[in-house]
Amino acid sequence: MTESLTERAFDHFEEAINALREATSLTKADKANKLVSQIDQIAHSEEGIQYLYKKSPVLVKLGVFDNTAWAEPEKLVPQLVNGTLKAGTPHSSFEILSELRMLSIALGDSKHKAMSKKDAATFLEEVLVHNLEFVFESLNEETRSAMSALEQKKVFGLFKYLLSKSDLQGIKDKLAEEITLICEQRPIVTSKAREIIKLVKEKIELDTSKETDAKLAFYIDAIYHPSEAVRKHGTQEKYNSYLQSANDQELAIESDSLGKAMRSSGLVSSFHAILLEHLSEQNLDEHLPKALGLNDTGKAEFVKHKKEIKKLIHYIVHPDNAQCVYGLSRMLEKGLFSRQAVRAGLDNIKRIRLHSEVEKNIIKSIAHPGENISALQYLIGALIRVLGQPLGVGQGNNPTCQSARGISMWSQHAPAKLINMVITAATLNNLSFRFEGKEIEADKLGHGLVKQMDFSLDAVSVVLVPLLDKIYNEMMKLAAGREDDPHKWVNPAMYGQWIQIGFASVYNYLLNAIQDYEGFIKILYASCHPDYNGHHRLVYPNPVGIFITSSRGDMIGFHAVSLLRVRKDNEGVMRAYFLNPNNEGRQDWGQDIKPAVMGNGEKPGESSLPFNQFASRIYAFHYNTLQATDHLNEVPKEIVKEVKKLAQDSWGRSYTWNEIPRQW
Amino acid sequence: MAQCFALMGWSLPVIESMQKLNKPFVVVSFPDFESYARDNNIPFVSYQFDEWSDTSNAIDLAEKLKPFNADVAVPLFEETVEWAGALNSIYRNDPRVLNRAFLFRNKTMMKRKALIGGLRVGLFEEVHSKEQVKSFMKRLNEANLQLEGEDDSWVHIKPFASAGTVGHRLLRSMSDIDEKVQDSDFPCLAESHLSGREFSCEAFVHGGKIKFLNITEYVKLGYSNFIPEGHYLNSKRELIHKHMQKLVDIFGIEYGMIHPEWFLTENDELSFGEVACRIPGGHILELSGKAWGYDALAAFVLCHDPNLSEDELKSILPDDSQKPENHYGNVMIYPHKKQFSKLEIPEELTEEPYFVDHTLVPPLSTQKISDDREGFGNHFGTINFKGEDPDRMTELLKHYENVDFYV
Repeated sequence: MTESLTERAFDHFEEAINALREATSLTKADKANKLVSQIDQIAHSEEGIQYLYKKSPVLVKLGVFDNTAWAEPEKLVPQLVNGTLKAGTPHSSFEILSELRMLSIALGDSKHKAMSKKDAATFLEEVLVHNLEFVFESLNEETRSAMSALEQKKVFGLFKYLLSKSDLQGIKDKLAEEITLICEQRPIVTSKAREIIKLVKEKIELDTSKETDAKLAFYIDAIYHPSEAVRKHGTQEKYNSYLQSANDQELAIESDSLGKAMRSSGLVSSFHAILLEHLSEQNLDEHLPKALGLNDTGKAEFVKHKKEIKKLIHYIVHPDNAQCVYGLSRMLEKGLFSRQAVRAGLDNIKRIRLHSEVEKNIIKSIAHPGENISALQYLIGALIRVLGQPLGVGQGNNPTCQSARGISMWSQHAPAKLINMVITAATLNNLSFRFEGKEIEADKLGHGLVKQMDFSLDAVSVVLVPLLDKIYNEMMKLAAGREDDPHKWVNPAMYGQWIQIGFASVYNYLLNAIQDYEGFIKILYASCHPDYNGHHRLVYPNPVGIFITSSRGDMIGFHAVSLLRVRKDNEGVMRAYFLNPNNEGRQDWGQDIKPAVMGNGEKPGESSLPFNQFASRIYAFHYNTLQATDHLNEVPKEIVKEVKKLAQDSWGRSYTWNEIPRQW
Repeated sequence: MAQCFALMGWSLPVIESMQKLNKPFVVVSFPDFESYARDNNIPFVSYQFDEWSDTSNAIDLAEKLKPFNADVAVPLFEETVEWAGALNSIYRNDPRVLNRAFLFRNKTMMKRKALIGGLRVGLFEEVHSKEQVKSFMKRLNEANLQLEGEDDSWVHIKPFASAGTVGHRLLRSMSDIDEKVQDSDFPCLAESHLSGREFSCEAFVHGGKIKFLNITEYVKLGYSNFIPEGHYLNSKRELIHKHMQKLVDIFGIEYGMIHPEWFLTENDELSFGEVACRIPGGHILELSGKAWGYDALAAFVLCHDPNLSEDELKSILPDDSQKPENHYGNVMIYPHKKQFSKLEIPEELTEEPYFVDHTLVPPLSTQKISDDREGFGNHFGTINFKGEDPDRMTELLKHYENVDFYV
């Protein structure tokens, strides 16, 4: 917003306040609605929210809430705020004003006869707890599809303001849970976790004798003082000079502490980069495996490729690019350096020249780009992270689950192909794919699904996703109108030969209905569920299309995930483990279906659900047509009925159902 | 000074204006509004406007209004124009006042009157069947010297007595007549298409003279307009004023406000479209009030009072020799999609310095639009703009007409 625009908007708002003041009860509601219609223009800037806060007492006095659901603050329910914020303008605008009124009461800037300072503060605390997705600006799929970018900005602005005005003591438990849920997934992009941790460090007094506080302190330490020496020396310079004079035993302690802190939290402290640089440059090689927190496989790999690895450390590890150390450590344990193609690719990428647009985007994606580090170094750092943590890839706030799923899959099963793709995309800002004999070049295509990319992603995604998104979209166009889901043809072309050619979908385009759902579920169980597929394990990720449903079970939209594994958890429940590129740990799909990200045998980055619950949300998957029918009759009828009921009572309500059997 | 204004029709903003002015008034409207009026201490006479019989007529209504001492009737809506005319005929003891009201309610009669008086109008005719519309178009084609294979001349048909765009159909060809025209449209007015820039005027008349002339620039009929007029129309203000006074003279209008639509060609020729004498649509008086800084609704009502003093008139009307600094415009928003579930404000609107506010309402749930629209159908609210540059205003209004607010 330009200066003059803000001023004009405020002028217009003042005029609206005057109109409200002059209105009699006959037209008050109209005037209030017009005034509230201006909030869209004001609320999305920090200055605007502050302004609205200052104006809230007079607006309340003039009757802006008269005859609305917000008329009596003492009757409002904090649990309902989230739904109202998602309901779009004007509801969200009224809701924002209502929270600002509450804050004004809580801070003693205004008084209300039926609401004490404390009541208001408690209300706001509850609101924060139930709206962490807004507090941390990490939206789940339901919210993302419900809210426009503008609506998101408005609401984010509100929570930023609320947060800056509250002491957070009452939401410590939730914050600890939130950080744990994020970090246990080992995301590639750690900025969200770091933001929360920073917030806690700056705003909350901790008493480490309490469990929650100790948990929060653990994460703060992982970033800010992963060892006693770091705590003692405080700054990077002082820590560096300490390392210069440290003896072997002290270095061993540092390596051990920092390595452990990193491996147990998934977070890398900037001091860690200083330590690695020191060890590597001084050829103190014996400490490096410890400092990387390596297991035996990793250690062996390190010894074997020491020279290359040290070169890589020298090239990319830097306090401003420290998070790649965790990726490097995971990459070593996966033995990726023993693949000649990977080594060659990593060597090649160091010598490329970035396309200017790509360079700009990478720098844009880094919150605080360091001066001594180039866009290429950031890119290679991110590449190491993607290779080391394939399940940590996320889509950020973009509707690009497809592309994220692809990057994750290539990282797992075709790392060298992924490196090459990054090299092409980074140098030419272009990519080319083949679709049914036809070459598709990203450069020659218009928009993909994303109109405005949110660049808070890892640099590999920053480089690849805009191109992949266009290509994916083009393939979908080419495959449209074939009377079946275009994904049937697009998925194998997009992701590669790991995808099975067979494709099952619940939806029949000709009938415009869900057809033979029972048959569909039988095929699913007979191909993926070990009890009914001849005890086979899944080998490659299966790109699965799911219905996203709200916490009430209502159909919201479609989403792409990858089914990775199906096996029994420790409780003996058969679970589906899958990659959900939205890195969301707080999902509620209704009917008590809540995907978990930890505690049920999930590997970091996996989500999981009991298999039947997962099955009830699937609308399409790939399978081997030659084998699937072998076990069809082994799938028990009760299971099929159970899954069908879950489906029919949720997303199924939005469709017509047709029971005519289908040839699978 | 009027003893009491009888406001014919229910309008909260007008009632509010009258309360603020502290002028005596009584609202006459359908029984539905009676309880609200009672709860809010609004003087009210309930009347079934759509019934006309031995027991429901102007003499009966005048009796009912006697306790209020009503002596000036003000038509707020198209449907109350005859009622107000009849009452004023009684109050002024002049039967021609009612006849004049009929003039506003019959578009053919209105055109005939304008033609006789020397205003330029299109070719028009009363039609009673599709065949007659076809004959009309055929004669028009002949007059326009149509050659084999050339397009037909455009014809508009309009009900005699509906407000603005309601029931208005544009027929571009013979086949349009078959496809678009319903038997229930007849009888109606058929007229040739008038070319030129379309705009409306709102002339506040007292003692047969125009006391204030508002010109409303139409960006798109039925969608968007702004006030005051842009550069071009403003340069023609004198010409327009002359024609307006002529219209007032021809129609013999003494008190009230008239709202005619005109077409101005590049050769400075003005064609008369039609004229109304109630509160115009498109929130025109709201815009006019903001732009010129006066209470346009109060002015509308007061101008109907023959006894209003010159001073009072001056105090309520703005001085149209001083052009306002800002233009106020609005665009009515219609959903473009057949099915939609939410209202979404585009980000560009919030970045627009001319944007003021809007009255868009969110859809109920998933809402569908039916195909049979009356006029332009119901709009879902308006977006209001304010700014110095009329060209920029025009651009914005054109642009937002096509933006999807309902997705």
